[in-house]
Order: sequence, then structure tokens, then C-alpha cells
Amino acid sequence: MSVEARAARPPFAYHHELLLLIVLFLVVGVLAVGTDTFLTVDNVLNQGRLMTEVALVALPMTFIIITGGIDLSVGSIMGLAAIMLGVAWKNLGLPLELAIVVSIGVGAVAGFFNGLLINRLRVPPLIMTLATLALYRGLAEGISQARSVRGYPEWFFVLGQGEVFGVPTQLWILLVAIIAFWIVLAKTTFGRSLYAIGFNEEAARFSGIPVNRIKLIIYTLSGTMAGLAGYIFVSRVSTTRSDMGTGLELDAIAAVVLGGTSIFGGVGTIAGTVVGFTLIQLLKNGLALSGVKGDATIVVIGTVLILSILVSNFLQRRRGAGS
Amino acid sequence: MAAAAFSTSAGYRDLRRMVLGQELVLFIAIVLLFVVVGLINPRFVAERNISSIFLGNAYIAVAAIGMSMVIISGNIDISVGSLIGVLATVSGTLAVNGVPIIICWLAPLVIGIAITAGMGAIVAYFHIPSIVVTLGMLSILKGGLISVTGGAWITNLPPEFFLSQTRLLGIPTPIYFMIGLTIAAAAWMRLSATGRAIYAVGGNVEAARLSGIDPAATVVKAFAIHGFFVGIAAVLFATQLSVIQSTVPPNLELTIITASVVGGVSILGGTGTVIGSTLAAILIAAIASSMVFVNISPFWMRAVQGVLILVTVLADLWRRQRQRRGL
Amino acid sequence: MKRFAIIIATTTALTGAAMAADPWDGGDDLPTNPLACDGTPGTVAAKDYDGGQPTGAADKAGQEITLIDIPKLVGVGYFAATTEGMRQAAEELGNVKVTTDGPTEANIDDQITFIDNYVTQGVDGVLFAANDPVAIAPVLKKALSSGIHVVGYDANSEPDAREWFVNQAEFNGIAKSLIDSMAAEIGEDGKFAIVTSTFTTPNQARWIAEMQAYQEACHPNMEWLETVEAQEDNILSFNQANTLINKYGDDLDGIFGMTSVATPAAAEAVTQAGACGDTAVVGLATPNAMRPYVESGCVKSVVLWSPVDLGYAAVYVMRAVVDGKLSPGDTEVEAGRLGKLQVVNGSEILLGSPFIFDKSNVNDFDF
Repeated sequence: MSVEARAARPPFAYHHELLLLIVLFLVVGVLAVGTDTFLTVDNVLNQGRLMTEVALVALPMTFIIITGGIDLSVGSIMGLAAIMLGVAWKNLGLPLELAIVVSIGVGAVAGFFNGLLINRLRVPPLIMTLATLALYRGLAEGISQARSVRGYPEWFFVLGQGEVFGVPTQLWILLVAIIAFWIVLAKTTFGRSLYAIGFNEEAARFSGIPVNRIKLIIYTLSGTMAGLAGYIFVSRVSTTRSDMGTGLELDAIAAVVLGGTSIFGGVGTIAGTVVGFTLIQLLKNGLALSGVKGDATIVVIGTVLILSILVSNFLQRRRGAGS
Repeated sequence: MAAAAFSTSAGYRDLRRMVLGQELVLFIAIVLLFVVVGLINPRFVAERNISSIFLGNAYIAVAAIGMSMVIISGNIDISVGSLIGVLATVSGTLAVNGVPIIICWLAPLVIGIAITAGMGAIVAYFHIPSIVVTLGMLSILKGGLISVTGGAWITNLPPEFFLSQTRLLGIPTPIYFMIGLTIAAAAWMRLSATGRAIYAVGGNVEAARLSGIDPAATVVKAFAIHGFFVGIAAVLFATQLSVIQSTVPPNLELTIITASVVGGVSILGGTGTVIGSTLAAILIAAIASSMVFVNISPFWMRAVQGVLILVTVLADLWRRQRQRRGL
Repeated sequence: MKRFAIIIATTTALTGAAMAADPWDGGDDLPTNPLACDGTPGTVAAKDYDGGQPTGAADKAGQEITLIDIPKLVGVGYFAATTEGMRQAAEELGNVKVTTDGPTEANIDDQITFIDNYVTQGVDGVLFAANDPVAIAPVLKKALSSGIHVVGYDANSEPDAREWFVNQAEFNGIAKSLIDSMAAEIGEDGKFAIVTSTFTTPNQARWIAEMQAYQEACHPNMEWLETVEAQEDNILSFNQANTLINKYGDDLDGIFGMTSVATPAAAEAVTQAGACGDTAVVGLATPNAMRPYVESGCVKSVVLWSPVDLGYAAVYVMRAVVDGKLSPGDTEVEAGRLGKLQVVNGSEILLGSPFIFDKSNVNDFDF
């Protein structure tokens, strides 16, 4: 995209989110008509439970992609954090509460390492996180020695499998996270700096924005959320495996991009990302409930992804040309 | 006079750049690996094993050639694994049904070019980021393949089909493909107008446009040529074993992209060579083999691989920093 | 520069630790139960029924039921075969509809979502082959508490998460068949290596552990060299098998393939290395995948059970459960053309002994 085109558009591309919202309602409508098990409170809440891990990781991913970066290692960090939870509890003998903190902490450290090398050594984020995708997954495999850790006490499962006021526990956490991330991005200087960095990093640096510190923060945040997702997932399935979170990064990136965040940086919103992962989850679920099988479902998702960006770009150009 | 002309030619600049570049780092790494592991277990450097290392991963090197071109142009293709799976299945299915062998080998090329050129056109003319298009395509291809075949084994292939298992002068055919195509592609990238245009578009689109290059057409061409290499890689992949599992090989795109990236192709576009990516593919394969020879616990293999990738990339960055500081 | 040095140090430390670690053998650490060397069947202690039960399941005895089958993954020949078996059983029974759906990668994350969707949809029964026995339990229990019948096959879950599990063969039975086949080919002091899939796959780990126990007890002079893992990737398995051949040379008398992807790849590696006859290949695989190697004589026999029969039995068991013909405490169940199948281990139904495919019968099958 040319520099002028990006400068002409405000960083808040609301019409894309609106378009997506319309698509979401259309999809939900069509699917609800197709099957009566889809649009029930139980099912929708359950879908919320199932998509929490991807959603939590997609939020900081939005920040990162807005700055023009990317984080491919989130899936591996989730697996590593999951493993560390089990290892810290069983092998190191820490009390379970502490083990949970340790596992999320490991996620934060992993993210911090990403940010550190991206900053200091100027490794392009794609390459750095591609390498740590392998490295962190490898650490998970090595540390776990292919053993799973199971046998957690009852209270541990409340987060992943329980409910609070009739809503799945993790959904409350997701809600809080969405609100927090939205406020930071839309209402704070930090959030505005992200757009500035994505728009033109050098210019941002010259205007006094602490680019390095910000980048370090967002990658650490990404790792922390991946660690949290790991904890929630272990609580949901009551065991740890080193292959947990495989493919998580692509799901998160798809949601973020679908939501209108530009991979070139400088554009994007949390609202868009939320609609993005909701749309993908409900689409997959609705199709499954309508009797469409898994392999056909992923074809649909792939097509929806390409088509929606296509249509959105087309509308944008028309709007840009007319104004 | 010839010497003077040579010393200012593009070829000389390239040679000089390569000698000081990532290609050298990789070459040294490969040699070092063979020496060290060879000392630990001499069978590692036996002709059999070296041949296995090159042979088993030739298709990755070939696919990485095309991927490098796409990345140099400033894009990426994460659907390449699914595409190879689809093309290999097409090739095998044609062969089992009695289609002339030469068509079974050429069909993947044609179909590969068609699909990748299509993706390139969407990227270039509709201005959709390549990561989005190829992410969508990955799902479409994978889902489509499984829907149609259910992962069935393709068996009863005619013996003439197995291109990868033939030898020329005692050297397995895929190795000729790997080395020949790498050299041809490297020369083409440097010497042809399109090749240089790909570098230009990846480096600075506006500057390229101002010097008369059509960026959109160039991107489509880069993708199309990538499809050509993917097609060849698919045939090498399909003809290696006597049976084909009509499914998508797991993690293949990651390996190919890693080979390109470790090979020095910059993700920011505009720099890197296909020679680097082929050397990187060889290095990655050699590392995998060496870990079995050295008895590294399989639990740690991926961790060691990740670190080695990181080290190679950091070595390259460090070297560039030193050059910039004029040391 | 300092960071660079740190990275180098970490690499060396990791490599050193990795090398110092106990050589991995591929087995899990659970107690083993090797069979007697001469084939007398082991005494099986009677175990109480330990499966789970659905709550509030509709009484559909004799009526048409809709089943969903969710294997480890779709798109592989092995589960295409189980699907075929299920289709055959459904056709014979006439009042069963069964569909197969599942993730495109052997991933527990996705498999759980699939099962969850079908629970919401409201099927009458779920058939599954688990990617992880513990992780799959919560969603299966959810199915049970929604009144859905749950029967597993091929890869078990925790017992109380399903009503019955159709076991293709006892782990120690498979181990015995494999080791005996290998010993017959390479002799009592042969050396062998193993190519397996990922090391987090429970079945493979169990088989390997049992194989070791049996080999130590009954063929003590055989030497196990090494185990390598190769995911579910054809070419990777091929490369790993090649590496083994290159590493050990003449010392390698036999290779075990532990998955239907690893065995043909190992056979291919042996064929291309010109080592047919010198290096034996024994393993678990489907006839289609092994046909060229069995016909060329490179592979003498392939051990498997019939995945078609496995799927067939699973549907019959489910039908019997719904019709009330199979209840906790029963000792056998009628399974169509397979006759009566025994109940073992509390809530497992045994398909039978492993099946050996060789040159004489490999062309009779299409899976």
C-alpha cells in the first residue's frame, strides 16, 4: 500500500468493522435458520469457552501487527507454559498456585526474549518468532520428556470447565481482557504510539516515542497472554501435553487480519479483532452443527478470509476515490 | 582488460558479496558440521549418508528456490505445503490411471503455476497482503484435498514414474535438479530483467515503479515462477517412495520458509540469494541427520534445531553490523 | 557480541544435556505385562466393569440411531479403513447412520472441539479414537451426561469417560507378534532399531514398552539399538530410516515401523539402500501401503489387525449398547460376522489376535 493512501485514511477504519459486523449477523442468521441447536444460550456460551485461548492471544497480536511486527511463537509459548505448569507442580514440588504463576511467568519471559532480540539485535520479528516457534516447542518437548501431568485438584478445573453466574469462567477473564486492551489501544498514549510505530517507525522514534520499550512491552504481553491461555487450556482438558497450542498463531493472525488490522501496520482495532475471532468461531461451529464436515469447513473459512478482505479493500478504494 | 571488465561487472559484485555474505556463513557451518560429527562418527561422512542427506531434502531446496523469489519480492507463501500435497496427489493419481509418465511429471508444474499465479494476481491487483491470501489458500487446498481423497494411499504406481529414484552417473537425479536449478535460478535472478525487477520491487516499490517496472506484473511473475519450482518439488516428493499418501505433509511450509530465511533472504524483501536458501536447506537436513548420529535425545532435537536457526540468523546480523561499522 | 556468546553457550549446554540424557527408547514408564514366550495365553484377572454410563439416554432399542465417529485425524488410510468397516456394519444392521468427521491433524485441541459440536448437535452415539486419553475425558463425560452413548476404539480414553472400548489387540499381544516376527527373520542375536511417530502418542509408547519387556524376557540376546521419531510424515520417516541404515551399516539387522506411515517408509529406505534381505522390516501398516514391498519380497510380513473389522465391531458394540444387549458385567458381545467378542479388563472388548498380512493375502485387501 502506498504511503499516501495510508496517510489519507484515519487509523480507525470503522467501515471495515461495520462490514464485518454485518457479515457476522448474516452468517449467524443463516446458520440459525439452518439448525436449531446453533443460536441457543448454551451453545453460544460454550463457543465462548472454546475460543478463549485464541481470543486471548489475538488481543496482543493486534497490538503487534499494528506496529508492523508479528509473533509466530505464541502457540509454542502456550505449549511451553502448559508443560511448565505440570513440571513446576509435579517435578519441582511447588504448590499448585505457585506453579500457575510460574507457568504464566515463563510465558512472559519467552515473550520478553522475543522482544529483546527484536530490539537489540534488530532481528525482523518474522524471523525471530519463527526461530522461537521451533525453540520454545523444542523446550516444551525436552522439558516434558513426553510425560503428561495429570491429577489436579477439583478447584483447578473451575477456570477451564466451571461457570460463574452461568457464564463459563474463562469468558469473564476474556471480557476483562477485551475491555482492558480496547481501552489501552483507543484511549491511551501508548495505544496511539502503536499506530505511530506501525505507520513509520523512524519518524516515531524521532518524535520521542520510546519505540524500543513499547515493543518490548507488547511482545512480553503476547507471551504472557499465551501463558495464560496455556493455563486455561490445561484447566479445560485436565492434562498437559507438549503439542498444545499447535497452530494457535495462524488462528490468531487470521482473526486479527479478518478484523481489519493491516499486516503492513498502522491500522487496526480491538473491536475488529473481537468480531474477527467471534465470526470464525461461530462460522466453524454453525457449519459443524449444520452437518458440514471438518474438511469442508476449513475450505469455507479460507474462502471467507480472502473474500472479506477482498470486498473490504474494494469498498475502501471506492470510498477513497469518491471522497 | 577482461579482468578490469570483470572486476566491475555484476557477476564480480555478486561473487564478492557472496564471499562476505550469508552464503559463506552457511557453507562454513555445513563444513564444520560434517567435520565435527564426522569425527564423532565417521559413518556420518560416508558417501551413503551424504547422498541420503542431499537426496532426502532436495525437494525442499527446490521449493525454497521459488519461496525465496516470493520473499525477495516482499511477499510470502504459507500454502506451499498444502500445494505440494495436492500436486503430488494429482501426479500420482494420473500415473495410476495410465496417463503417459511425462504428463504426470508436467501436470504438477502447470497446475502449480496456475494456482500460484492466481494467488499472485490477487495479491498484486487486489492489494491483499500475501500472508492473508496464502493463509486462506492453505485451508482451501488442505480441506479440498482431504475431502476428495480421504488420505488414501496411492499404490500400484508404474515403475517408470519414480523420477527421484533414478540415477545419472551414480548420483541421484534430485541432486541434479537441486544444484542445477539453484545455479540457473541464481543466474536468472541477477541477469534477467524480471529477476532484477523482483529485487527492485521487494526493496522499494516506489523506486521500482519510477524506473519503469510494473510492480504488479512483477509480483505475479514471481509467484508464477515459484509455482514452477513448487511443481518440480512436488514431483520429486511424489516419486521418492513407492507409495504416496494423498495428504498434506505436516509442517512443510515452515521448513521451506526457514530454509529461505536462514539462507539470508530478507523478509523485508530486496536481498538474499537462492544459493543461500539451498545451502540452508542442506544445512537443516544435515543437522537433522547429525542429531541421530550424535545420539541427541529426540526430546531435545527440536530445541537444538531452533537454537541453531537462531545462531545462524544472528551470525548473519552480526556480520552485517560489523560491515556497516566498517570493520 | 555478549548476547551472541550467551546463545553459543546455551546451545552447547543444551546439546550437552541432550546427549547426557538417558537414551530414549520410546516406551512409556507404565508397568508391563509380557506374555509367555511359548504363547500360552496369560491369565487375565477378572476386573469389574469400570466404564462410564450415560445419564438420561433415550431408549432407542430397535430404532434408527445416528452415530458420529471422530478418529484421531481424518485424511489417513488407517482411519479411512475404520470408516469403511463402520459403513459395512451400518449397511448390515440397517438401522444405523454413521458419519466420520475429525481434525486434519492429530491434535487434541481440535478433536475436543469436534466432539463438543456433535454433543451440541445431539447425536445418539459417539465413536472415538483419542489423541490423548486424559484430555479427551472432560468432553466425553459431557457427552455421557447429555444422554449420548460413548464407545471408543483404537486409542482409549480414561475408562470412566466411555462405556466400552473396542481394543484391536492387547498391547502385549501386539508386542509379542512384532518381536516374534522380527526374531524369526533376523535370528536370536539380531540387532534392531525402531521408527515411531511422535513420542507423545500413547499407543506407540505402550507397544514399545511391552516390546522391550517381551524381548528381554524371551529373546534376551537380541539387541535394541535405538528409537527415532518421525511424526506422521512419510518423507521424514524415510529420511530417519535412511539415517539409521547409514549410521549402523551392517550392524542393523532389522527395523520396526510403529505406524502405518513409518513402516512403508522404512521398507522404502531398505529397498533403495539395496539392503532387502539383509535388513528386515517388520511393523504395523496397512496392506495398500505395503503392497509393493511385500510383493518384491523385501518385507516378509506385516502385522496389523483389520482396521475395517475394528470399525465394524465398534458400530456393532454401539448398537448392542443401545439395544440393551450389552450391559456392564456382560462377558461377551455379538458382533455380526466377527462372531462373539470377549470382554476383558472390565470394559474393553477384544477384537482378537493380530492379523498377519503377507505375500499370499496382501492383494485381498483394499485399505
